[in-house]
Amino acid sequence: MLMPKKVKYRKHHRGRMKGKASRGANLSFGEFGLQALEPCWLTARQLEAGRIAIARYVKRKGKLWIRAFPWKPVTKKPTEVRMGKGKGDPEFWVDVIKPGKIIYELEGVAESAAREAMRLAAHKLPIRTRFISREGRELR
Amino acid sequence: MSFKIKAEKRDVFGKNVSRRLRREGMIPAILYGGDASNVPLTLRKEEVFMILKSDTGENTVFQVSFDSEIRDVMIKELQKDPVTDEILHADFVHIAMDKVIRVSVPVMIVGEAVGVKAEGGFVDFITREIEVECLPKDIPEHIEIDISDLHLRQSLKAEDIALPEGVKLITSSDTILVMIEVPVKEEEIEVEEEEEVIGEEEEPEVLGKEKLEKEKEGEGAEEEKKGKGATEEKRGKDEKKAKERE
Repeated sequence: MLMPKKVKYRKHHRGRMKGKASRGANLSFGEFGLQALEPCWLTARQLEAGRIAIARYVKRKGKLWIRAFPWKPVTKKPTEVRMGKGKGDPEFWVDVIKPGKIIYELEGVAESAAREAMRLAAHKLPIRTRFISREGRELR
Repeated sequence: MSFKIKAEKRDVFGKNVSRRLRREGMIPAILYGGDASNVPLTLRKEEVFMILKSDTGENTVFQVSFDSEIRDVMIKELQKDPVTDEILHADFVHIAMDKVIRVSVPVMIVGEAVGVKAEGGFVDFITREIEVECLPKDIPEHIEIDISDLHLRQSLKAEDIALPEGVKLITSSDTILVMIEVPVKEEEIEVEEEEEVIGEEEEPEVLGKEKLEKEKEGEGAEEEKKGKGATEEKRGKDEKKAKERE
């Protein structure tokens, strides 16, 4: 599962998910990509599930880039514990996804295969997404 | 083919005005470069599309007319909405037709590699644009590279490109443009998945934690010393006072 090797602080504030993605909103590596259309906290498990779905579908061919990384620790208090006594312990890791962020990029496969692989991966994510390609992206 | 765009000088600024402009099918823009001062402009969105859809795309040199002036310009940057792909703002840069400029030119792959056709590899297109220096009239539409002779694990570098006359390569000559990659074996994928499942539930190292702990320990020791010193001094004073009383 993806998570940082070193952190400066064990626990983070929750923060807000305002606005659209300003970074990571363009295809930088591959020919095809999966773009988020809604904001969310994307957990390392969801990201990994999507990666496995793509890898299984394209099998041996192609190259995959994961453009999101779960930097943010989410804490939880144990069950049946009274409120207070400080913040809970880190439970899992998430990445804050904003609309427009490209989550996966794929290269070296046909468009139909990339489309299907991304569709399978999109089912593992908690948000609406869309498939994008370099050629199919037109400004409006 | 040379394009001409009609624009108007803009004397209103800010997001509210810009939003109103966009609703009317216009976009805010700015023109800079050369000796003249910056000129804020507004223009119709369709005119930018016309330039982008031309053969040279973003590297097209065209003319912008506003008030009574006409200037040779190029698109420097386009701001766009990441979700709706709408153009929000355009930056134009003034171009002197007799001075060399640096531009990024798209690389196009031609042919099917032997490594893909017969050896089961796939094409990894690593560098899709290269930077070149040339006169505005010599800017190439794109640069073609023929990959049909490439076998598995072979690559084409920037130095292998045959550039047209008057065009100088700026991108580092050992930059890899295209490589024919070997597909990953299925066993390797499975091993990777297993490893990741095993490597769960470890907490990352907290930077500066050791330093903090040392500092705390150091402070504790100093306080203890101070504490001891103070009590000894107090004891000494008390004893003196007692002697004086006697």
